[in-house]
Amino acid sequence: MNSMERVLATISGEPSDRPPFTLTLSLYGAKLTACPLRAYYSDPELYFKGQNAVVEQCRPDIIFTPFALALEAQAFGSEIVYFPNAPPNVRRPCIRSAAEIAKINVPDVNSQPGLLYLRQAARLLAARYKGTIPICGVMTAHTDLPAIIMGIDAWLETLMFDRRRASVMLSFTARYFLAMANGLFADGIDFLALPMIFCNPRIILKKTVEEIIMPALTEIFQQLKGPVVFHHGGNPIGEYLQFYKDLPNVAGFVIDSRDSFSGARKALGDDVLLMGNLDGPSLSKISPQTAVKKVKKIIDERRNDRHFILASTSADVPYDTPIETIAGIYDLLRKREVEADDR
Amino acid sequence: MIIKEVAMNAQETRSDLYDAIIKGEIARAERLLDDYARLAGNYRLAMKEIMEPVLRAIGDNWHLERISLAQGYVAGKVAEGILKKIFAEEKGHTPSSTKGPLILGNIEDDFHALGRKLVSIFSEAAGWKVYDLGNDVTAGAFVDKAVETGARVLGVSAMMFTTAENIKKVRSEIDRRKMTGRIQLAVGGAVFNLRSELVTEVGGDGTASNCMEAPQLFDELWRKSLEVAP
Repeated sequence: MNSMERVLATISGEPSDRPPFTLTLSLYGAKLTACPLRAYYSDPELYFKGQNAVVEQCRPDIIFTPFALALEAQAFGSEIVYFPNAPPNVRRPCIRSAAEIAKINVPDVNSQPGLLYLRQAARLLAARYKGTIPICGVMTAHTDLPAIIMGIDAWLETLMFDRRRASVMLSFTARYFLAMANGLFADGIDFLALPMIFCNPRIILKKTVEEIIMPALTEIFQQLKGPVVFHHGGNPIGEYLQFYKDLPNVAGFVIDSRDSFSGARKALGDDVLLMGNLDGPSLSKISPQTAVKKVKKIIDERRNDRHFILASTSADVPYDTPIETIAGIYDLLRKREVEADDR
Repeated sequence: MIIKEVAMNAQETRSDLYDAIIKGEIARAERLLDDYARLAGNYRLAMKEIMEPVLRAIGDNWHLERISLAQGYVAGKVAEGILKKIFAEEKGHTPSSTKGPLILGNIEDDFHALGRKLVSIFSEAAGWKVYDLGNDVTAGAFVDKAVETGARVLGVSAMMFTTAENIKKVRSEIDRRKMTGRIQLAVGGAVFNLRSELVTEVGGDGTASNCMEAPQLFDELWRKSLEVAP
């Protein structure tokens, strides 16, 4: 089986030769190609080169477009900062409150340089891997975009105390989101992963989730021209999965390392694709042996789960993660494949 | 008679205030405190008898992960509101800060201000004199301000692992100036909740799991500093 067949089998609940796996190795391609990060996150050819190295040396079953959400914020006018060993981040949001929305424009997804970089990276990956390795686009949900355009506290405040402006802001970000997401689907991605933050009752009030966020997500997700993977966004989501399970176009969920798969199964049923549970950002701090032990525990627990993909959670796998850690995870899964063949 | 009325009213007001904050009803929360201050005679009493116990209850539940960021934010806004009223009420009469000073800031390259702003509010509510240096603060600027103001505690915030690493520079700066122990380094932010071992790795003297627990940490670190360098 190739990666696409393996992942498709898992989505439809058919048997596969081994559990598919993916680690968020968007950043890691820069390490493997010794590429300075400012160049890596601005030249799609360099990103593509990095992902080719990821495919060759790490052999994941899913690859990613650049996990560089700050570039979206920059497209609206926010100031970003580059780091020597991490993806860019937002230094200064472009507006201070929803009242200043008139000062900014919806960026053109066909001409804004940062967005073109993201799209061209998707096109290059699709030209090479379409049909053999699923390509996952990564974007900010339109319900989270205001936090990187005007700051977390300003968006919290707007959602809680100014419903009219929250609605205006969501219509504004939805215009960009739909154009960019559907643009990425046209460029060749197979699905879209959205790290979701401002839909989680750990972050915002439950009534805000119910009355503002869910209707907004429902309206926009149904206009997407491809499936979404709902990513936990750095917070546990297990106890709230019932909120999201009926959203249109959602093909699966990435749960946090603190969530349990069995709990998620109870909330979602047996037929929904579940991913995640291996904490990505801590992989650089544990030994390859410990990482492999963690993976073994997860895949043993999910042995009979046909809708399961082992994946790293939260942000990118860190730059300084030893290659032996990633190789060890692959070897363990490959061993399972050989054992299955022998049976 | 009035004393009895105030005492009876306090319990009910605390319960109503907690409910208003949890539901995100900031105007109702402020009204409750205004009403109580009128009955009790001033905002400082409203702070002591109503707001502080409610903040403790919210802090306890935050520790148990039963409070959302939004609810914590509302608590911060309400606390900030009553502090301003106390300040306006007592201007020129009594100092509103009894502890500190305390230096707060986000470490170099970190721009996630929300947690720090809340720590600042809750620390002021707990009686600390706070110097908030803002985002992207260098190690030298932190220690300079501590020396200038006589602060014994630095509260340094970072949201991400990459920026948390920069806190090591504050540790080095404190040590380089031979102020180890005299200046205590409190570290905090989302990343420290995910990876508790990071506190030691970056040279922190302590952390708090949420912004409401931070003032208690600062109390402990201040005490520790006095033991090391009276």
